[in-house]
This record gives sequence, structure tokens and C-alpha cells, in this order.
Amino acid sequence: MSSMTAPAPRVSLSAYAPWTDRAGRVSGLKLAAFAATLAPAVWIAWLWASDGLGPKPLTEAIHLTGDWAVRLLAATLAVTPLRLVTRYNRLILVRRMLGLATLAYAAIHIALYCAQQGWEVARIATEIALRFYLTIGFAAFVMLLALGATSNDAAVTRLGAARWNGLHRLVYVIAGLALFHYFLQSKNDVTPAVLWAGLILTLLGHRLLARRGFGRSPLALLGLAAGAGAATALIEAAWYFGRSRLPPLDVLAGNLDFDFEIRPPWIVAAVGLALPLLALAARRFERAR
Amino acid sequence: MLIRRRKGWEIPERDATPETVWLNRRALLAAAGFAGLGLGLGPQSARAQRVDGDPSMALYPFKRNPAFDLPAPTAESEATRYNNFIELGPGKSTHRYAASLKVRPWTIKIDGLVEAPQEIAIDDLLKSAALEERVYRLRCVETWSAVIPWTGFPLKALVDRARPLSSAKYVRFEGFSDVKLGAGLRSRLYPWPYLEGITMAEATNDLAFLVTGAYGKPLPGQMGAPLRLALPWKYGFKSIKSITKVSFVADRPKSLWEQLQPDEYGFWANVNPAVAHVRWSQAREEPLGGLTRVPTKLFNGYAEQVAHLYKGLENEKLYT
Repeated sequence: MSSMTAPAPRVSLSAYAPWTDRAGRVSGLKLAAFAATLAPAVWIAWLWASDGLGPKPLTEAIHLTGDWAVRLLAATLAVTPLRLVTRYNRLILVRRMLGLATLAYAAIHIALYCAQQGWEVARIATEIALRFYLTIGFAAFVMLLALGATSNDAAVTRLGAARWNGLHRLVYVIAGLALFHYFLQSKNDVTPAVLWAGLILTLLGHRLLARRGFGRSPLALLGLAAGAGAATALIEAAWYFGRSRLPPLDVLAGNLDFDFEIRPPWIVAAVGLALPLLALAARRFERAR
Repeated sequence: MLIRRRKGWEIPERDATPETVWLNRRALLAAAGFAGLGLGLGPQSARAQRVDGDPSMALYPFKRNPAFDLPAPTAESEATRYNNFIELGPGKSTHRYAASLKVRPWTIKIDGLVEAPQEIAIDDLLKSAALEERVYRLRCVETWSAVIPWTGFPLKALVDRARPLSSAKYVRFEGFSDVKLGAGLRSRLYPWPYLEGITMAEATNDLAFLVTGAYGKPLPGQMGAPLRLALPWKYGFKSIKSITKVSFVADRPKSLWEQLQPDEYGFWANVNPAVAHVRWSQAREEPLGGLTRVPTKLFNGYAEQVAHLYKGLENEKLYT
């Protein structure tokens, strides 16, 4: 994915700062992404310090960092679709940062869990081995570590583009495991997990469209938004039927009760609508030029 | 934004979370998107004890029964802002939704296999019951715990009042069904109403307590006002909140949670550190307000009082 940079004219660390592009210039895009990835951690720390996490701050912080790991994973997976749809290729500048931020939040998530277990290594290891949702969550983390360790130019050169890309396709496995972990750790109500599953499904669906050459077609993208919304509703109904035998039609009908709440399928479809709109805007912009 | 704890600082109703905000919370959170999705941003003022309008306020406090005392109860500010109450809404910050739970008028219907079926208004029940304070441990199936001074009366007094027939083997409790009282009831993800059940032997055990107050005041909404159960030797979900109906029945009731996930929330649900939940260990618990975990005790420390109830039932899943 990456190419070697020309050697800098003089030794400077500025090219390695999170807010500079490969030429060492300050990039507003990278700066914004860097600030955005830091913000949740700062916010969680501030909540903790100000008693905003409630009577079980550690548990709450574990949940929040896990939530953000999933959100950042989705953001990482959004780079390629957004790049293709908008032809704004500079977006690639932030993909590595988003991926590493995912790893960072997952690492804090697990570190907080270990703290909750009193850093008793034997107990932590047994729990991870015994509890299926911990096992798959931890497996996702190990894979993330592998991707994090190879998220640098030297690793790309060493592995070669083909092998690097092959390895980094693990991100799809990680996404599946992380989402399954999210579902399994929930109580009966899996609404937040359903929402992020739907959003990530949209991003994966776009890759299928792109492979068939429809990655920029507003009509196809409109279909993707609708399809992902419908798939989200079906996944949710299937989950509740599979686990608790709740009547699928009841769960599906719940999506129409707007007085209660806007349910995940609608949010997924609404967010998905951004893609055809961006595609149209990008076309117009290109034509104007 | 200010997040400040103001113990004992009572708020006017207008400071409560507006119903529209609560009803649309997910949409609002989703709209916030990457900018700030999550917990801890709700109006903190709603945290205050929602008991100012309760007509039974003047009755409190009641004398503590020294036979049921424990050192170091959980701070009121901690115990009143972390618990499940799915009829009100999802998550643990149910105190934010408690404003919708209007507890007057409130009647409790007693029916089924009894000589004296009846409906009692909560204020009549409060007048006729011998109320006392008991400090009980509370152990949630999710591994958090608290020590709470409840006010109430033994469930046995209500059983005696109903005069059950010998054919009555179980007591079945039902929560409220009015969606105006709790918007959580609109969720299609639960087989409403909230149901729970225990055996007659459990119901007449001295520990089984019907609760009307906490911390020397009427119950705040999020804790299950105006009447809830406290079964301190069982996981918390058995202690049903905001009871509207008590039925004496011949067949074992299937609780809301048992209907959903029988492998995770069984009928007996007695606390036992040696028997893991399907998804996690029950060996230790996290007291509210603390960071460290402490060992969980068999029957949550009440083995002496209740272990005999389960003689001869060893083939049952007593601890799930």
C-alpha cells in the first residue's frame, strides 16, 4: 500500500510526527485525525477524574474503551470506501493512524480489564481461556497486535506489498471477532452492538460493490445503504430469535415504533446514505473542474 | 460542562431529564457520533433522590432491626445511581429515567390460590405493615454488589394476609405494565411484564423482605418504588421492583429473564461463588464505590438462614 519516501534532505524527526505528511509538512487532515483519536481517551480520563463514570468507574472505562476500539476500527475500515467514493486520496494518510489508535484503545481496554482482575496473571489467563467472549476478544487483540507491529514503512518493505496486504486482510477477521465479542458481552439488549455491526457491514458491502465496479455509482450506493439497513434489521431479529426465541416479526415491528427510539437499522441506512451523496458531490466537483 | 456531586441536594422536577430527550436518547447519541458518543453526559442533576413528592415521606425513618445490621453500608449516592431497571430503560444509570415512575395511585393486587384475594392501596399497606429497617447485602448476577439499608416488612406478613390455600406452591410477582411509567416497556426485546417467582418456603423465610424504603426514606423510583422485593441470598434480578401483583400459584412461574436466557438466569439463582455464570466467574464481586474485587460468599453470606431451604433439591440448578 505504501511506497518508500525519498530520503529527507536533512535528519529531521518532523516527518515522524503524527501531524506531518510524508514530506514533513504539517497536514491539517492528519492533525485533525490525531486530535480525534486522542479525544475519547482525554474525555474518558476527564469523566473518571470528575466522578462522571459512576460508582463502577473501572467497569465503565472498560466498556467505553471497548466501544471506542470498535468505532475506530470502523473508522479505519471507512478510509478505503471514502477514498474511492470521493477520490480524495489523501485520506490514506490517516488510515495507519486510525488503525494504530484502534490497537491503542483495545490495549487500554484489556489493561483495564487486567487491573480489574488485580493483575493476577493466572486468573486472567484462566478467565480468557474459559470464557468464550473473552477468548475471541483476546484473539482479535492478538491479531491487532500483529497488524500494529507491521504498521510501519520498514515492515511494508520487508514483507513486500502482496504479503503485507495479505496479512492486513486479517482486519476483516478482527472486525468479525470484535463484533461477536460485543454481542456476547451484552445482556439481552444488544442494540449498540447491532448498530456497529450494521455500520461495519456497510463498509464491507462497499468493498463488494467496488470489486464489481460499482464503488462510485450513486444508485448502487443507495442500494447499499438500504440493503445494509435491512440486513441490520434481519441480523437483529435473527440474534434475538436464536438466543431467546423472541418472535422475529415482533422484533422487526419494533423498528417502526419511532416514539420509542430510532432503531439501529434506520441509523445504519441514514449513515449509509452519506456514500451516494458524497459520490454525487464528488462527480459534480470533478465536472466543475 | 459541570459534573459535580451534591449529596442531599434535592432538585425541582423541571431539572429532570426531559422525556423527549430520554425517548430519543439513542438518536441523540447517534447524532453526536464520533464527537461524543457514550455515557456520562446525561443531566447529572437527575441523580438526586426522587422522593420529595412521596406522600409517605413523613413516615420515615424506621427503627433498624439489630438482627439485620451490617457495618459500612454503600454510600447512598453510589447505591442510588447504579442499577438495572429495564422497565425504565437500558443501562445502569436508571436514575436518569426515574422521573416517569409515578408511584401514586398504586395498588397491589393479591390473587390466585388464596382465601383472601384483595387489592391494597400502597398507603394502606404502609399503614398496616410493621415497618422496620434492615441492612442487607445485594449481589447482582453481573458481579457488582452493595450493602443497603432497606425499610420494609417481611414478605411472610403479606403471605399471612392473603391466607394461601395448601395448593399454592409458588408466589409469582409481577411488575408494572403501564408504558407511561417506564418507557423501557416499549422495547420489543423483552417478554413483558417483568415476572419473578419463588417457592412458598422461600417466601415465608424470615429474610424475604418487601421493601418500601431505603436509606431512611421512601424508595427512589430507580430502586423500585413504591414496593419491591429484597431476597439477599439470591442474585439481584430475583428481587423484582415496583410490584403490582402477587399471585399464589401451583406451577413454577417462569420469570422474564428465565424466558429469555434460561441458561443464564434460572429459577433459583442462589448466590454461589463456586458456580460460574455461563459467561463469567461468580467467585468475586465488585462493591459499588470500590475498585477492588472481594470474594463472594455462598448464599451471599446468608447460608445460615437459608441453606436448609434447599435440602433435597440438590438435583435442581440451585445456583443459576
